[in-house]
Amino acid sequence: MDVFTILIWVGTLIFLGISFAKDPHKTKRALRMAFAMGKGMAVSIFSIIFAIGLILTLLPPANIAAFAGKQSVAVATMASALLGTVTLVPAFIAFPLVGTLVDAGVGIIPSVAFLTTLTMVGIVTFSLEKREFGTKFAVIRNSLSFLFAILIAFAMGAVM
Amino acid sequence: MIILRKLKQNMFFVMIFLAYAGMMLLKPSMGMASVKNSAYYIREMLIIMPVIFVLTALLDLWVPKEKIMHLLGKEAKGKGIFFSFVIGSISAGPIYAAFPMCVMLRKKGATIRNIIIILSSWAVIKVPMLLNEAKFLGSKFMVTRWLLTVMAIIIFSWVADRIIADEDLPKEKPLQTGITVNSKACMGCGLCVKNYPQLFEMDGKKATVKAHDAAQTNKEKLLAIMEACPVKAIEYAG
Repeated sequence: MDVFTILIWVGTLIFLGISFAKDPHKTKRALRMAFAMGKGMAVSIFSIIFAIGLILTLLPPANIAAFAGKQSVAVATMASALLGTVTLVPAFIAFPLVGTLVDAGVGIIPSVAFLTTLTMVGIVTFSLEKREFGTKFAVIRNSLSFLFAILIAFAMGAVM
Repeated sequence: MIILRKLKQNMFFVMIFLAYAGMMLLKPSMGMASVKNSAYYIREMLIIMPVIFVLTALLDLWVPKEKIMHLLGKEAKGKGIFFSFVIGSISAGPIYAAFPMCVMLRKKGATIRNIIIILSSWAVIKVPMLLNEAKFLGSKFMVTRWLLTVMAIIIFSWVADRIIADEDLPKEKPLQTGITVNSKACMGCGLCVKNYPQLFEMDGKKATVKAHDAAQTNKEKLLAIMEACPVKAIEYAG
């Protein structure tokens, strides 16, 4: 657990305590609401998680890195951006991985493209996003994020 | 009918389930590896999701709509953008953890642009992530990527806000009490509205849940009405 997760837990528990002291009924309602929210999202979240597990088995991040290392910059950037789109990797795996990519001479551009699409663009989270915010929102947000991930990558390449 | 509808609603889940079933039959070792890979994410989810749900519900009940509109609504402009970045940056968990929070903020009047800023910064520039990044890739890398990403988010959230209209987002769901009417199943017979007009009303040809005080809800009456609904379209989680 990182510090922020702990802070969110502590903060929420304090909030819950104050809320209970002020209005127990309202607080019970909030807890019921939280439970209903969780119940509503549970199937989607477990689908997302098991989809990620599946994708990681079929496309291990290490293989992606090895593959991207052998391509030209343009191909490697597109490929790693697309691969980043289908996977969702926690930061503590993603950063060392990108670190190895850069060290291995793959170059900053594909690495950054991978990093950004990895977290910001999601095929696996798409169905949930669509349900919560509508199809148009999900399509526009994901495509713009993808496009800008590539722009960020090239800008990084130019600056660094 | 009901089974078919449920399957359609959970298409993604069905697909994943079939993929696993197929894998377990054809290549059990790969199937097991996938389950093992998923275990980490389940842990990550359990650490953050319960607290996010509780926090979202508490904020929903205690923070008045005017306050959210003031901070993240149309009038907030630059201040709204700033607060959105702050919210996303001090967050934890994967991007889907931001969904319930953003749905609630949206309901209370946050703009589409600010919602996109929160989602995006939650995904790529939250502080715990930046610390990790500096460790593995160096501070210069981290700072440069942060600056470029913030600029990119400011630009594309503006673009997205131009394209997406308020009507494109689904209508507010009555999350408040956990009573919902499944509009796909409801055939608009009006039985629930007739029996419990304080709780249900007609919205066009379908019944919906009215704004109401959950503490006053007569549970027995509600359960009787759920039972009476000919298509069992009323759902209650509480």
